[in-house]
Order: sequence, then structure tokens, then C-alpha cells
Amino acid sequence: MNLRVETTTPRENVAVVSLTGEVDVYTSPRLKQEIVDLLNQGLTRIVVDTTKVEYLDSTGLGVLIGGLKRARERDGDLRLICDSPRILRIFEITGLTKIFDIHRSEAETLEALK
Amino acid sequence: MSQPEAIVELSIPSRPEYVGVARLAILGVASRMRFSYDEVEDIRLAVGEACTSVLDRVEGQAESPPIEIRCLIDPGKLTVEVTDRVAADARAVLEASAGGPDDVQLGGVLIRILMDEVTADENADAGTHTIRMVKYVAR
Repeated sequence: MNLRVETTTPRENVAVVSLTGEVDVYTSPRLKQEIVDLLNQGLTRIVVDTTKVEYLDSTGLGVLIGGLKRARERDGDLRLICDSPRILRIFEITGLTKIFDIHRSEAETLEALK
Repeated sequence: MSQPEAIVELSIPSRPEYVGVARLAILGVASRMRFSYDEVEDIRLAVGEACTSVLDRVEGQAESPPIEIRCLIDPGKLTVEVTDRVAADARAVLEASAGGPDDVQLGGVLIRILMDEVTADENADAGTHTIRMVKYVAR
């Protein structure tokens, strides 16, 4: 299983990065590159949709934390969409629910970013 | 210590693209036991993290020796030993606290939370480091 990274821009200055597959030590550099590219293009409000993520490890978490840090340095933000109990649990047990804004759907996230 | 009921061993190159192979193998082993779906997922993530921690230590080293994964299957528990011959110490992985948002530390935190028993041993004579993880089957 691999990782597919697809980005849409539903609104000006908001990028939604949808992930499908596994985010691990092999695939997470691709997610990192995508986030870095978006920030370099001036897209500082990033939403990462993990709805179709089947596996997420500490390397993936590290990339998301790094992305959040870089986005905030540019007065932006990095939010997550997560509706899988399995993936949500990984954020909970690592204490990361305290640093990320986690939403249930894209609509909910876009509303919050208004 | 009594003999395990069965032993499954796997050796993978210490390269990122092979960690998924170890995860698939452990998924197969754990699925055959009386673990719940969530427990199987916990074991898969913990073993993936243990292998990933080896890769972190391989970085910058001249050689990247294989990672040995040994599963000891008992009726009441699964023990997984992840052994490497990388020069840098493995114990730091588990000793790290959840203090900073560093993915190496997060890996250690995950392993400790997901498994019931976790130890890291160094065998100076053999030049090996082993992360040993145990998950008990709920009674």
C-alpha cells in the first residue's frame, strides 16, 4: 500500500491536502514536500484530510507537527480532518489533540477557517 | 522461560520501503491469535515504530545491517523482538519522554503505550540492540 497525496484549493489561501493510504517512514517525505511546496506558494492555511488514511506512524505525526509549526510562523494554520477512531486514537495517546484543531469534515473545517 | 508454541522470524533490509513488509508480516501473525482488531492494529503500529527507530539510528552510519524481527507465539501472549546491529544505542528510543514533539520520541511513546511490556537490551558481545515487546491476549 502506498500513499496518494491530492491537493485542492476550495478557497483562496486555503489548501486541502487529501491523503489516501499509509503515512509512514517511506511515504511521509512526500507529504512533507507537499506541505513545504504549498507554504512556498504562499498557501499558509492548510487542511490535511486523513479520512482515507489507513496507517499513520510517528514519522507522519512529525511531518504534521513540522507543517503546523511552519504554517504558524507564516501566520497560517494547519488543521486536520479525521473521522477514523483508529487515527484519532493515535493523536489522542500522543497528546497531539491538544496542539491540532481536528475537524470531522471538510465543510466543518472551512467554516472554522472563515 | 518456557518454549514458545511457535516462532516466526523475518529479516528486512534497514530501508524505509521494507518497514511495510514487516508490518504486513506482523499483521499476519497477530491476526492468527485471539487478539481484537484494535489490539492487532496496536501491535502492527508498535512493530512499525520499532523498525522505524532502527532506521533513525542507521542514518549517517556507514553500513545499514538488516533488521531481524522475531515473533514468539504463546497461547496467552505475543512477544516481538526487533534486533539490529547498528552502532548507535537503541535504549535512548524508549527512554525518551513525551516532552518534545520529535517523531523519534513519539515513536518510543507509542511503543510504550501500545504494548503491555517493553524493554530495550544491548548485547555488547554480539553488537546487537533489541527492543522486546509483549502483548497479552485478554482473558
